[in-house]
Amino acid sequence: MENIERNNQAGGINSDSIIRLENLTKGFGGNIILDNISLTVEQGKTTVIIGPSGCGKTVLVKHLIVLLRPSSGEVYFRKQRIDNLGENELNKIRMHYGFLFQGGALFDSLSVAENILFPITQHYKINDWRQMDELVKAKLAMVGLDGFQQFYPAKLSGGQRKRVALARAIALNPEVILYDEPTTGLDPINSDVIDELILKLQRELGVTSVIVTHNMTSAYKIADRIIMLHQGKIIADSDAAGIRNHPHPVVQRFINGQANEDDLAVLRASSAIFQSQFLPRDFEE
Amino acid sequence: MIETVGAKAAAEVVDIGRFSRFIWDTMISSIRSLAKSETYPLIWTQMNIIGVRSVPVIMITGAFVGMTLAIQAYDQLAGMGLEEHLGVLINISVVKELGPVLAAVMLAGRIGGALTAELGTMNVTEQIDAVRSMGTDPIRYLAAPRVLACLLLTPFLIIYADLLGILGGYFVSVIQLGINSRAYWSFSASGVELWDVTIGIVKGLFFGGAIATISCYKGFTCKEGAHGVGQACTEAFVASFISILALDFALAVIFKAVYSTFWPIKSLV
Repeated sequence: MENIERNNQAGGINSDSIIRLENLTKGFGGNIILDNISLTVEQGKTTVIIGPSGCGKTVLVKHLIVLLRPSSGEVYFRKQRIDNLGENELNKIRMHYGFLFQGGALFDSLSVAENILFPITQHYKINDWRQMDELVKAKLAMVGLDGFQQFYPAKLSGGQRKRVALARAIALNPEVILYDEPTTGLDPINSDVIDELILKLQRELGVTSVIVTHNMTSAYKIADRIIMLHQGKIIADSDAAGIRNHPHPVVQRFINGQANEDDLAVLRASSAIFQSQFLPRDFEE
Repeated sequence: MIETVGAKAAAEVVDIGRFSRFIWDTMISSIRSLAKSETYPLIWTQMNIIGVRSVPVIMITGAFVGMTLAIQAYDQLAGMGLEEHLGVLINISVVKELGPVLAAVMLAGRIGGALTAELGTMNVTEQIDAVRSMGTDPIRYLAAPRVLACLLLTPFLIIYADLLGILGGYFVSVIQLGINSRAYWSFSASGVELWDVTIGIVKGLFFGGAIATISCYKGFTCKEGAHGVGQACTEAFVASFISILALDFALAVIFKAVYSTFWPIKSLV
């Protein structure tokens, strides 16, 4: 436990930026997903990344922890370049991060308690299992699921799975928590529960958070800063008020949930085809 | 056209390179795992899943191999009045060739498919990324225990297949076809050597390693979606099957050369 607490305090440099991307470009098979992105994530703040589906938000957040390596550009964690490190060195850096995956990514074969203990058992020798039970209980209590220790992920609802995944993400008391679409697939009430949890962790643990989301209600509620990605580039970077009043038409369409004219034209053309081919009278004949 | 062929050839070379790297990483992780007692529970769990639960199917496979061999070979040998030699033919075929190969093929289907499907599903649901995000090497945590379990237990499973193959052959030859029991065992003992049994068991070591490594690799590199997992399972079985046959041939050549080197006089008799 002491080691884990020390881990939380390790590298406690009083610097504003904790993660930095410099001219990061990522392509898959000639298709450029991220195009020359430079970004600084401020320590202790909540940065929300928004953007349409497929614009590279998840790819961007996976670069912050180097689960993906950039095609070009650099990634820094506390002034140390990390994108060129080997997996063994990276594993030590990754202990400073927690990552909440889109579907939770809980291990199906492990119980809730075993999932939460996984990162601890991988890095520390456990001598006192009673203390570990207390730790699991505390982490689950933080996400409101104490008592679910012996459940398996298959028995949990979508919202519960995300909360357990969040409990696992904070098991090592990380300095940075990355959230990949934490409210996707959840009803509005469960989405709000997750938002409240994110705010609670921010208040109680003082962590730096980077959150990828489509959900503007969540974004406005939790963000200190909102960044919008579009076609592999950052087109907006401001606080919630700044985003609301942003002059870029793509930003306005996105935050107001409006389709653009080109998409609507395609839909109108396709609906004309449907009408001509599949009207009930065709079948009646 | 040339460009397409070139691109596919380049992709194949890259895949071979990745697979070689995977084998190397898995080998290193496996050796390190053996040196660390903390990883023994992981290996033990996989041994239970891979080894213990495969015993029934492997025994059934072995028994049918022995019984079918007896039925097929009896007429040929009886035509020459050599039916009492049936035991040699069955037992040497079972322990040296058919037992190990068919047991390995059964394992490729049962274990290989399950390993690829499990790891493939973990891959597409980001569980492997989750392992990495928590600072753990997925090859050490996921691949090494499975490869070690398969590597260590396949030889034992082959012993089970051999045992039931021998008993199946005996049952059909002696009980059903009426061959003299004493003659059956006597000819078997004179024809089958410890060397033949050893060859079969050593083959199991290689077959087990190949099945587990290929299946884990296919799971780790599986494409997204249900189709991707299904395709990875098919590819894993086909690749395991081909590698079993190729290894069988290569090991037969090597063992024959070794045998001829150390026991040259015996081969002349």
